Amino acid sequence: MPQPPRDVLRGTLDLLILQTLRLEPMHGWGISQRIQQVSHGVLEVNQGSLYPALQRLEVKGWIESDWRTTEHNRQARYYRLTPSGRRALGVETDSWYRYVAAVETILGTG
Amino acid sequence: MSFLSGLRVRLRALLRHRAADRDLDAEIRFHIERETEARVRAGISLAEARRQARLAFGGIENIREAHRDARGVRWLEDTFADMRYALRVLRRNPVLSVTAILTLALGIGANAAIFSVVDTVILRPLPFPAADRLVKLSEDNPEKGWRQESAAPANYLDWQERVSAFRGVAAYTPGGHTTLTGEGAAEMFHNSQVTGNFFSVLGVPAALGRTFRDAETWENGSHVAVISDRLWRSRFGGDRAIVGRTVRLDDLQTEVVGIMPAGFGFPAADVDVWMPMEWKPADRAQVWFRRAHWLGVVARLNPGVTVAAADAQFQTVVRQLQVQYPETNRVMGADLMPLHDFLIGNVRLPLLVLLSAVALLLLIACANVGNLLLVQALGREREAALRLTLGAARGRLVRQALTESLVLSLLGGIAGSALGWLGTRGLAALQPAGLLPVRDVRVDWWLVAYVLAITTASGLAFGVIPAIWRGRRSPAQVLKEGDRGGSAGGPGSRIRRWGNGLVVAELSLALLLTLGAGLLVKSFWRLEHVDAGFDPSDVLTVGINLPPVRYDTSTKIVAFFDALQARVRALPGVTGGAAVLLPPLSGGGWTSDFHIAGRPADQFGTEVQHRVISPDYFKVMRVPLVAGRFFTDADRAGAPPVVLINDALARQQFPGQDPLGQRIAFDRVPDSTSVWRTIIGVVGSERQTSLAIAPQIEVFIPFAQQANSYMTLVARTSSDPASLVPAVRRVVADLDPNLALATLNTMSALWTRSIARQRFVMILVITFAAVGLALAVVGVYGVMAQLARGRTRELGIRLALGARAGQVQWLVVRDGLRLVAVGLGLGIVGAMLATRAMGALLYQVAPTDPTTFLTVPVILALTALAAAWLPARRASRTDPAGSLRAE
Repeated sequence: MPQPPRDVLRGTLDLLILQTLRLEPMHGWGISQRIQQVSHGVLEVNQGSLYPALQRLEVKGWIESDWRTTEHNRQARYYRLTPSGRRALGVETDSWYRYVAAVETILGTG
Repeated sequence: MSFLSGLRVRLRALLRHRAADRDLDAEIRFHIERETEARVRAGISLAEARRQARLAFGGIENIREAHRDARGVRWLEDTFADMRYALRVLRRNPVLSVTAILTLALGIGANAAIFSVVDTVILRPLPFPAADRLVKLSEDNPEKGWRQESAAPANYLDWQERVSAFRGVAAYTPGGHTTLTGEGAAEMFHNSQVTGNFFSVLGVPAALGRTFRDAETWENGSHVAVISDRLWRSRFGGDRAIVGRTVRLDDLQTEVVGIMPAGFGFPAADVDVWMPMEWKPADRAQVWFRRAHWLGVVARLNPGVTVAAADAQFQTVVRQLQVQYPETNRVMGADLMPLHDFLIGNVRLPLLVLLSAVALLLLIACANVGNLLLVQALGREREAALRLTLGAARGRLVRQALTESLVLSLLGGIAGSALGWLGTRGLAALQPAGLLPVRDVRVDWWLVAYVLAITTASGLAFGVIPAIWRGRRSPAQVLKEGDRGGSAGGPGSRIRRWGNGLVVAELSLALLLTLGAGLLVKSFWRLEHVDAGFDPSDVLTVGINLPPVRYDTSTKIVAFFDALQARVRALPGVTGGAAVLLPPLSGGGWTSDFHIAGRPADQFGTEVQHRVISPDYFKVMRVPLVAGRFFTDADRAGAPPVVLINDALARQQFPGQDPLGQRIAFDRVPDSTSVWRTIIGVVGSERQTSLAIAPQIEVFIPFAQQANSYMTLVARTSSDPASLVPAVRRVVADLDPNLALATLNTMSALWTRSIARQRFVMILVITFAAVGLALAVVGVYGVMAQLARGRTRELGIRLALGARAGQVQWLVVRDGLRLVAVGLGLGIVGAMLATRAMGALLYQVAPTDPTTFLTVPVILALTALAAAWLPARRASRTDPAGSLRAE
């Protein structure tokens, strides 16, 4: 039975955005769609936190943005990973796995 | 890199926060459109799809807020908003704002001007490469009371050879005159004789040509000179071919070998010609070469050597010389100090006093503005209360208040900088010549940092109290009290206590400043009215230097000056003329030891001043004859050697005896070569070097018996002495067309110049004190007016109940009196502690001079009470019925 989609946990949104941008530059809507698709509809990005999160990552220098024309000839702001964003993604991923492992240990499933 | 790009994003967000908002809006629009399209594709109607898309997106305004926070510039945007708001508030109350800004501008401007001078003189390094490695060497002789005196050449040479801590040691004469002839009119220039290594020790090469070689310290048959950029341009039209050419200096064929860069002026800014010492090698072994002291000495330390280490080594050598040459050096000490410290030694204290004065002025200005803001804060209590009730954070309110005062101080700082710039120009123009090297006052980072610091500090100083005040009040209380902010015991009473504190502070600071000014005024008055022993009015002084090449015998020199005196005396309007080596107050002169005939060998005197004069000198200067006779024309070469002494010497050496007929020689231990002079008269004592220094013991030698090629003509006139200048020039040109006048002054100008520094400092401090006093009085008036206004109702009741106007006035004035008493009391205590530091600037006035400490506070108290009485009078004249109805 399909469960209703869950909001992305605060703190993991940055990680998901970085991971999503790893392959190609995307605009905000695309990012939210991709996260939903890849998680098979389990995760839904709250738009209210997506755009501030993008801004935060840009201030950190992990992503860059510019305005480009989409395949449908519309103007959209595309975000892409910077080299330091790529490094940060590695670090964040590691720390996520450590976190998950720790939680699993506590839950006794590990 | 990520930090930098993050910074760039932040900066862009800050500078273009509207554009960032627009970007976000476009992004959101795009997002919703795509979302709508997706839903339409899924089979939902367009309108419904749009609605759902909007709903799914959430509150756009919240996202905007969060987005702005994420840009990381929230606090800056807040600050800008606060500043915009502050500017609006200031514009709403233009009188208050302009008053506050002007008050601050006065304080900050005065500080900026004085600090720019301090910066130039004290903080900026000397204009030499690695100037901190340069030290000044001078000689001390406790037996003669010498401190930091000129050095003897033989000692200088030994220091140079024996102290390995020095990379180089150079010597120079403090300054003289040289006459340039042969090209146009004869002209006199300031010169300095220097050792060959002088320029290389200072580290300044010639701009054109070369400087001197080490060997040129010694006589070698040819004459060379280095000239200043100023002389090169003014006299030789900037012609580069001048290098290598021969000019006539003091009638000697001299080759110009180099031109110094513009701005080089050492040992004095006005030196235009440097010449080598040209000492005779044989002189080095002579006793006089170690006995006569006339050299300034500067040394450059070897790399890595500290000043202390160099001094230790130097002192060892000095002690060696004491042992080696006991006749001249037995008690000769020496002193080493950084050149910069030496050069600023005598301007440091006046500058520090001025700096303190402007600091006090700024504090008074701050207190005044603080007062204004307090009054304003009182008036804006309702606004603050309303904002608090509407949910503004107390911290934001405090921050807003602080921003307002900082904006105010910033505006004051800008106006003050402009004022300071003008003030610096003024100082440079008005200063007595040579007091401050401010010809090149520049704005540098020290100055900018200083002005910024005092601007911010003053903004915080006067802003903090209203800010705290605003943060503390409870809104309910304020709104309940309504407009009657001033009623007794209400909210006004606490704010008034702050105001009273500020007035007390202002008054005490103003008193401190005024007392300092009072002391300086009294000191200056004493100095200006001192009895100097001669009459300076209507005397013209003309210095003339005869070139030794043409005037090579005493006979020729005496003949010239005799003819000059005779011709000048014959001029209409001249009532007397004489020659003197140096007139009083023109600096210089020399001293020697002496011995009086018939006294035990160990009873010698020391440090007697010498002056060479012609017979009429004392008549021209109106110096009284105390005993015996003046010189006459009969006291000439070949006649018995005679001498006149001043009564200071007579009192010191001949108490209860008759000095007339006694004989004196100017040696410590007279020998067969000594000249014994008979004392033929005693004259009144003149103050020689400074009006502030009591007359020193002095002897006078007849010019005819000791001719000197440099003499000063003094002429007493029956009208303005300056009007005689053209006639005197003609006489000199008539006698010798190749002579230039070395100096040209009236005696009263010398008098004025000798105390110009004291006058300058005094006038500045008076100005600052006057401004400070005015600000303080305005402060008292403001607070008293506020007080009286707050009590209008109470006073109205009293008047209605039959109180007399005088009684009511007294009620108000009494409060003022208390403030004035406390303020002045604190001021007096502070001044007693503080004025001690300026003791060295005062002439015959104690730093706690009772008269000054009595009169100044009384004047201040009366002024302050007048300021308190004005509002009181207004309060007592209000119509009681009217004021009650107004409530």
